[in-house]
Parts: sequence; C-alpha cells; structure tokens
Amino acid sequence: MSRAEPGAAVQALPERRAVRVTWAGALLAGALLLALAPSFTSDYTQQVCFRVLEYAALGQAWNLLAGYGGLVSLGSAAFIGIGAYTTAELTNHGLPLVPGMLVSGAFAATFATVVSPALFRLRGLYFTIGTLALAEALRLFMVNYNGLGGNIGIFLQTAAPTTAGLYWLALGVAAAATGLVALILRTRLAISLRAVRDDEDVARQMGLVSFRTKLFAFTLAAFLMGVVGGLQAGKLSQIEPYGSFGLQWTVDIVTVALIGGLGTLAGPLIGAVFTVALAEWLNAYPSLHLAITGAIVIVVVRFAPGGLWGLLAHGWARLRPERVAKKHGGTPR
Amino acid sequence: MQVPSAHTLVTALVSGVLLGGLLAITALGLSLVLGVMRLINLVHGEVVIAGAYLGYVLLSKLGLDPLAGLLLIAPALALLAYPLQRVLLLPLVGKGVQAPLLTTFGLSVIAQNLFVLVFSADTRSLGRSYATAPLHLAGLEVPAIYAISFAVALVVVVGVHLLVQRTGAGREIRAAAEDPVAAAVLGVDVGRVYARTYALATACAGVGGVLVGLAFSFEPTTGTSYLLSGFAVVVLGGLGSVLGTLIGGIGLGVIESLGGAVFGDGYRDFIGLVVFLAFLALRPQGVLGRADR
Repeated sequence: MSRAEPGAAVQALPERRAVRVTWAGALLAGALLLALAPSFTSDYTQQVCFRVLEYAALGQAWNLLAGYGGLVSLGSAAFIGIGAYTTAELTNHGLPLVPGMLVSGAFAATFATVVSPALFRLRGLYFTIGTLALAEALRLFMVNYNGLGGNIGIFLQTAAPTTAGLYWLALGVAAAATGLVALILRTRLAISLRAVRDDEDVARQMGLVSFRTKLFAFTLAAFLMGVVGGLQAGKLSQIEPYGSFGLQWTVDIVTVALIGGLGTLAGPLIGAVFTVALAEWLNAYPSLHLAITGAIVIVVVRFAPGGLWGLLAHGWARLRPERVAKKHGGTPR
Repeated sequence: MQVPSAHTLVTALVSGVLLGGLLAITALGLSLVLGVMRLINLVHGEVVIAGAYLGYVLLSKLGLDPLAGLLLIAPALALLAYPLQRVLLLPLVGKGVQAPLLTTFGLSVIAQNLFVLVFSADTRSLGRSYATAPLHLAGLEVPAIYAISFAVALVVVVGVHLLVQRTGAGREIRAAAEDPVAAAVLGVDVGRVYARTYALATACAGVGGVLVGLAFSFEPTTGTSYLLSGFAVVVLGGLGSVLGTLIGGIGLGVIESLGGAVFGDGYRDFIGLVVFLAFLALRPQGVLGRADR
C-alpha cells in the first residue's frame, strides 16, 4: 500500500534522485552484508537465516497470488512437495542441486498449468477449497503410492551442501523471488492482476483475459514454491510425504504473508523475519508458539489489514507529514 | 489393487451408506455456515475434533458415556461459539471474503495447538464396547457405531431441517441467507441470526465429533480431513440444503467405501477428494445452486 504511489511522481526530480541514490546505497550495503554473513556468523544463525529466506521466497510467491491477485490458495504444500520430490529424484540421478531446483520449479509450474483449468472455474472461496482439497489429495496419494517411496519417502544419496552453501542458495532464491515480483509490479500484469482481484467481472468487461492473468500468477507462484521445495530437499537427507506435502507449509506461508502485509513487496520479508524470530524465541514451546501465531493472525486481520509493513509505513508517514498530503492524493484504495 | 468379491462390495456399499450418516453430520455445520453466512469456516474441522475431545474428557474424568454426553457437549459448544462469532466474525461482515476466511484460519491454528497443549499429540479414541461390536445385517457385518451414528445423524439432520423450515427462527435464517440486506430492512437482526446459525452449526459439528471419536481414532490434526470431507458433502449434496447434506454424505460414504474396497483402504480419503475435485471442477455452478463468489 505504500510502494511507488502515483503521487510520488509529483516530487521534484533532484530530490527523487537523491532518495534513489540513498536507497540504492542502503540496498547494496544490505546485500553485501547478507552475502558475507557466513564469514562472521555461526552455523546456527545461518540455519535460522536459511528458514527466514525460504519463508521470504514462499511468502513472495503466495503474496503475488493472494495479495495482488486475490487468489487465496491453501494448496502451497502441493507445489513445495512436488519440488522436493523432483529435486530428490533428480539429484539421485546425478543432476547437481541448482539445476535440480530449477527443473523442480518448472515441474511444479507445469503441474499448476495442468490443474489450472479446473481450479480457475472456481471463484473466490471455492478456489480456496479447491486448492486445499488438491494439496491434501496429493499428500494422501504420495503417502499411499508406492512408486515414490510411499510413506517412507526418498533418501538423498548426494551429501547436502554446507550450511553456508545452503544459506547462499536460499539468499539467491529469496532475492530472485523478490526481484521477480518487483519486476512484475512494474508491468501491466500487476495492474491486470489487481483488477481481477478487485472485480473479476468488471475486469473481463474491460477486455482483460482474466484466465491468462490468473494463470501467470499461479504458475509463477508454483515455480517459486517448487524451487523452494527443491532447496528444502537439498538440505535434508530424506524426504517423506508428511513433511514435504504437509499442511504446515501452507499454514506458515499464509501467516508469513499476512503478518508481514498482504499486497506489499516488503511484507513477506518482514513477515518471514517476524515469524521465524517468534518461533526461535518460543522454540521450547512449539504448540504455544503456533497458537500465538494464530492469535496474531486474527488480530492482524481485524486491526491491521496492512500487516506489520502497513503499520511501519503508517508510522513512517506520520513522522514525515509533508509526504502524507502528496501520497493521499494518489492512493488508489 | 485386487478384484474384490461381490460380498466385499455389498458390505462396502452398506457400510458406505451407514458411514454417510457420520459424514453428513460432520458436514452439516459447514453447510449451514456456508449457506447462511457465505463463510468458509476453516475452523470447522477443529470444532468436530473438539466434540471428540469433550467426549473423551467426559468419559475419562466423569465416566459419562459419550452418547449421553452429547446432551452436554452440543450446548457447551454452542455457548462457546455464539460469543466467538459476535466478537471475532461479526465485525468483519461486509469487509470482503478474505478477512473472515483468514480469521477462521487463525482460529483453526489456535485450536489445533490448544489440543496439543491440553491433550498432547497422542492418537485417542472413545473406545466403547457397543461401538466396536460388529452388527449383523442380513448376512453382512458392519461396525455397530456406523448404524448408531447413522441414526443420530438422521435425527439431527431432520431436526435441523424442521427447525429451519418450520419455525420462526428458521424463517429468519432463511431470510438472512437469501438476502441479508432485505432481511435487515424487514426487521431481521441479521447479526443475531448469524451468531445463532454459527452456534447451531458448532453444536452439530460437536455431535459429529463425538461420533467420530466413537467410530475412529483422532488426534489434534484430524480436523482437516473432516473439513475436506465436509466440503465434499456440501458440494455433492447442494449448498445450503440441510437434507442435501444427508444425500451428499451417503454419496461420499459410498464412493469412499467402494474406493477403499477396490484400491485398498489407504486410498479411501484420496478417492473421496478426487471425486470431490472432479465434481467441483466439472459443474460448480450446477451443484452449488446459488453460485456464490
């Protein structure tokens, strides 16, 4: 809600350039710090960061679907599981991890394309049920089907990368996911997506092909989730259907995106940091932690629909009142 | 996959029909909330399991039989649900479909983990001798609890049907479901109707949960499968139709039972979900009646 608002264009050019340079500098410094982190942090910190980055990438993917496109999917686990299994199979057949992850993403995206005609016949709430049913069906199939290891799963024959290696991979995936979504937000597609979210019928009457718009978001999200699934497999020595296709993935992704801020680029990043930090803080009480997360979700939905990022942006705007006037002129909703 | 004998198939068919009663009653609350409030109640499965856990508490602490305990469990859950709806869900009416959906999602996460905290993650069941005893029906053998739950489901479903169709409170429910704005204009307190519907739905789910506990084992995360079977029943039986849940339940029960007999028991739920997805994809508007977005 506080990204490149049209009102920002009103700002004088030199000032904008200065702001840009500052931002670019900060980003560069941040990127450098993140990239060099393994040289001055412990294995434990890197493992925690790995999870933050995984969730950040997943949150970006889901946010593209649900936050910008209004497609509230509860089927994320399906694509993560497909990614994990594909990577496990491919690396066991000799493919290195990174290409394996990319193929996994492509495979998950293909699966998304195959099921999309059926899922997109379902609108709104029914789409949500359909995705949940699809993911559970797939999980049950993987538990019972013996061809892919059944309920025992697959053992990975190649050794997992080092903690630092995994961290860098996760950093790359999270950065790529954020970059991709940021790029998409600069195209017409983002506008189409939001139009379909706000009123699909009107969007259609305006000549938008809503199916194609939704399909793009759905397959891209599936691709990213498949890649993260592959990354997760690369970390583990064994994958099994309960974990890979588990509903917990879906639940975690929704909470990350929602707590961070739906429909914002920074939301999933902040949400991932917050969610993992909370989990670490309460790691002796996993159930209590999840129950508290559920309560936070309810409070956020009710009182802060913009999530943590929305609250931050709001607070920032209050600190700099001269920008608020300009912004409010151009905020679309 | 083995070719089952005719006897196996007939047994599967009969137990499928009877199991349909259980599936219908676990779906009834979901159908009511979806039909009247246009809300996907993602915490529905946890309410079902809450019923099972309450039955467990009554049985283990007070020695009360779960079937007799129904008379305590259903009102207790309704009393819990009424204020919950008024405080958490009612303020979100008119704020789009996502906000209430995600609120029930949060409730479901809370409930699942409260179950773990209070009852641990162990698998439990309400072991009663009459439930597990086999029942002989014309040369076929089915678990007695299937027949018991079918009878209970029949009573509850018909009771709710009569409540909705024949009473003043039911007329208000139907009016609010049909057109909440018009109903409000005509003096119906739609918020109160919603809260009552939610309470009624929760009570029904709790009854279903006790039967689930008697027939099968359960653990904190079991709710999800009853949420999904509930959706399948609602879609098969028709949205907003109380008697339809019985038809949908029997339909799903037969499909799952036959699927289990043909492909192996592990595939029961999978077959149910696949048929559900196919149904949803092939004719959503036809089955869902008043198509809703």
